[in-house]
Amino acid sequence: MSQHDNDKTAVLLMRENPGKPLDPFRMAELRDLAGAAGYRVLAEITQRKDRDHRFQIGRGKIAQAMSYNPKKLIFYNPLSPNQVFNISAEFSSQVIDRFNLILEIFASRASTREAKLQVELAKLSYDAPQVRSALALKKRGEQPGFRGAGAYEQSMYHDIRGRMAKIRMELKDLEHIGEDRRQFRRELGFDLVSLAGYTNAGKSTLLNALTGSSVTARDQPFTTLSPTTRALEIKGRRVLLTDTVGFIDDLPHFLIKAFRSTLAEISQADLVLLVADMSDPYEILRRKLVASHKALWDCGVCSPVITVLNKVDGLSKSEMLRKKEKIEDLAPNPVLVSASCGQGLAELSERICLRLLPLGEYQIRLPYTSQSLSQLSRLYETAELLQVSYEDEMVVRLRGRKEAVARLKAADRP
Amino acid sequence: MQGKYQMVCAVVSARVSPIFIEKIHSVRIVPHLAETADLNTVADLTSAACMCLPGTIVAESGDFYNQEIWRVKSILGREFKYPETLAERTAIELAHHISLAGRRLIIHPGTDEDWTK
Repeated sequence: MSQHDNDKTAVLLMRENPGKPLDPFRMAELRDLAGAAGYRVLAEITQRKDRDHRFQIGRGKIAQAMSYNPKKLIFYNPLSPNQVFNISAEFSSQVIDRFNLILEIFASRASTREAKLQVELAKLSYDAPQVRSALALKKRGEQPGFRGAGAYEQSMYHDIRGRMAKIRMELKDLEHIGEDRRQFRRELGFDLVSLAGYTNAGKSTLLNALTGSSVTARDQPFTTLSPTTRALEIKGRRVLLTDTVGFIDDLPHFLIKAFRSTLAEISQADLVLLVADMSDPYEILRRKLVASHKALWDCGVCSPVITVLNKVDGLSKSEMLRKKEKIEDLAPNPVLVSASCGQGLAELSERICLRLLPLGEYQIRLPYTSQSLSQLSRLYETAELLQVSYEDEMVVRLRGRKEAVARLKAADRP
Repeated sequence: MQGKYQMVCAVVSARVSPIFIEKIHSVRIVPHLAETADLNTVADLTSAACMCLPGTIVAESGDFYNQEIWRVKSILGREFKYPETLAERTAIELAHHISLAGRRLIIHPGTDEDWTK
């Protein structure tokens, strides 16, 4: 984020297991996330050490981080409630982990009611076990009837669970609305195509390039949080292209569960465009593709997937071919595009058209009633009418989606 | 079972593209009664089940106690990886279903009712 808030300063900390080499990608990703949340990073501290039960990382490293006088300490590694308590108590500093940082970004970008509920559910899912653990810690020194935590604090955990159940119910309703909307769009003859991929891969830019719209697209993680849909026409087929929230490595399962209604836009699509950033070094590109495949698996995707390698404009042809060859097992036949330059978009459109299920041909008979005439009029919009003959009844031969035809009770396949 | 571990290893030999399983060549189920369920037992069982099958072994990291790939590779003595693509995960899911069904058949032979317990 270009507009860093000067008050928001942070030091990034990461611990690696001694057996593994230091991974600069993780720290770079954490830096980007901190930037997206508006933090000014004062220093980055890494350590190879077995997990410290009290502080996650060595005490000396935290003291070193505190010497920069930051507002917050941001850990890459997940922190247990005990560790948060110990660090806050010993070093009088606010401390968050990577997951909380992601939630902070989500909370700042959530604009729709659905997104706000999803963020709240994710936060509560994260907080619930932490609160329970904190209560257990508090109760450790208590004696029956003397210096107890009290009924108010006792009920906090139950309040959280209650709120979570309420949000889940609301999200379920919204999920049904989304399902109905998708069904309605299919009945209108649209094919549903989703853009998925690692965060900051250029999904929104690709949506803009393909549809000529002006959705907000920035060079920062998690610019898009709520799905954005735009229409386009490819070789006579009407397609709705949906931009979705980006994936990230090591995403906790409950976050995916919280964002289920948003991710349904991917899992329920007719075709998924998996976008990856080709300008990344090979190892990172591979890792991001693997993380994206894992996220797609968690979403329950079973529709065809086209891998789109974006941002190829900055690469030489030899480098492009070398990378393409190396990731062949993950993306055997990718489409190379540059959404910002418009390179490869024609090929992508052609590939989308090829991978969409071919439209079926149907013959239906409609009686001469006012309702049938309105149905026929509607069919002109939702399907391609091949022939209309006026006999004892109206006989309509058409090509279109089965959902569009299923609306008519007299549907009859030849 | 009788103080021992009733283990069942299911192997799905398949040709995969990143998204879909293209073709399943064979499915093999190998039961094994073991004293312990340590890494060596799992590795031996996996080696025996994958014998004579070409290609790379793909298994979930939990099956090999989250050991690093190079370590599992050197124990098995052949190409090994954890799942990366959707198709590899689908194949593993398939193998899990088969092994679970095989184990139920061994533990509750000839009954239709008790297998859910």
